[in-house]
Amino acid sequence: MVGQCDADNLSNACIPKLTSGFNFLKSYKIDGLGGAKDKVEYSYVFTKGTQYMINLCAGGNGPDGLVVSLYDSQRNKVASSKVNDQFISAIAYPCNATGIYYIQYTFDGSATYCGGSALGFKR
Amino acid sequence: MALVAMFLLSCSSGKKPDEQAFEDSLDSTLNKGASIDEEVIGSILDQIPSPLEISVLLEKSGIKYNADLLNSPDNLPRYNSNYKMALNLGIYGTDLGYTNIYGQNQSGIKYLASIKSLANQLNIGQFFDIETIGRLATNSKNLDSLLLITTQNFNTINHYLQQQNRSNLSVLLLTGGWIEAMQITCQVAASNPSHSELREKIGEQKITLEQILLLFSFYEKDENMASLLKDLKELEAAFSKINITYTYNESSMEVVDGVAVIKDNSTSTIEITDEDVRNIMSKTNSIRNKIIS
Repeated sequence: MVGQCDADNLSNACIPKLTSGFNFLKSYKIDGLGGAKDKVEYSYVFTKGTQYMINLCAGGNGPDGLVVSLYDSQRNKVASSKVNDQFISAIAYPCNATGIYYIQYTFDGSATYCGGSALGFKR
Repeated sequence: MALVAMFLLSCSSGKKPDEQAFEDSLDSTLNKGASIDEEVIGSILDQIPSPLEISVLLEKSGIKYNADLLNSPDNLPRYNSNYKMALNLGIYGTDLGYTNIYGQNQSGIKYLASIKSLANQLNIGQFFDIETIGRLATNSKNLDSLLLITTQNFNTINHYLQQQNRSNLSVLLLTGGWIEAMQITCQVAASNPSHSELREKIGEQKITLEQILLLFSFYEKDENMASLLKDLKELEAAFSKINITYTYNESSMEVVDGVAVIKDNSTSTIEITDEDVRNIMSKTNSIRNKIIS
C-alpha cells in the first residue's frame, strides 16, 4: 500500500531551498502515482544569459531516487541531476541558448515516487 | 494615509463585473463541445516565462527606473469587463514586479491596490495575500520575500483558474503580463539602441508569442479573444523576419557544493534589425494601448 503523495507540500517546501540569489519562478509537483507513472514532465522557455536552478525535495534526506533531467526543444539532453550514479538534489543551468526546454522528473529506485521541485532564476 | 484609504476603498468596493459576455460566450462554446483541453492549455501556460525576468535584466543592466513606461494604477475604473480586467491584471502584475525590482515601494502599493481590486472582481481576490504583501512592501530589505509571495500568488491564481475551467482568464492574464513586459523592453531598447542584449531579448520573444498564439487558437470563437488574436497575428508578422538559430553541443557538468552545475555548450543567435525592432515596438504599443484604454 503506497501512501498518499503530498506533492503540493513537497513542492512548497522546495521553494525556500533555492540557493540565495535565485528568484523563485515555479514550483512543480512530482507524483508518480506509486510507480504507475514513470515520468512527470513540465516545460518552460529558458533564455540565454540567465542562470536557472531546479531543486528536488522528497520529504527525507536526499532526493529518494528522484532525478530531474533537462531536454532542449529537439529533445537533446542538456542536464541531469544523476551524476556518476550519484543523486544530486539540485542543478544549476546557466542557459546559453534561448528556447523551450522540457523539465523531466523520473524515478530511479524511488521508495515513494513522490516529491516536489522548484525553479528559480538569477542574472 | 491617503494610500491606505485608497487601498481600503478599492478592496471593499465589491463591485460585480458589468459584463459577463466574455465568460458566457466561452461557456456556450464549451456546451457546443468545442475541444478546449484544459490540461494542454495548462501545460502551454506553464511555459510562458515570467515578466520578472525582464525587469531583473533591466535593473541589472543599470537601466534607470521609469514610471512613465507603466500603466497608471489610476486607470483602474476603465476596466469593467472580465476580458479587460484579466488583461490589465496581467499588466499591473508586470508593473508591480518592475516597481518591486527597483525598490519603488510607494508605487508598488498603488499597483497592489489596483491588482487586489481587479482580482476581487474576477473572484480570485482570495488568493492575493494583500496584507502580507503590503507589509513586506514597506521595507526594501524584504525584497526577496516580496517577490516570492507575489510570484506564488499569481501562480496560485493561474492554477486555480485552470482548475475552475476558467483558463481563458489565465490566458488573458499571462498575455497582458507579456505584452506589458514587451512594451517596457521595446521602449527601453529604443532609448538604448546600443544595448544588444535588449534587442536580442525582443527577438527571442518570437518563441513566447508562438506559444501565446497557440493558446488563443483554442478560443477563436470568442469575439474578444478573436479580435486580440488578429492583433497578435499582426505582431507575429512583425517578428517574421527574425531568425533564431540554435546549435546543440553536448553539455558538461560538475558537482559544486552539492549542486550539479551545468556548462551549456549549445548556442543560439538572434538576427534582428533596427527596422524589426521599430515594427515590433509599433505593433506592441498599438495592442497595449487598446488593452489599457
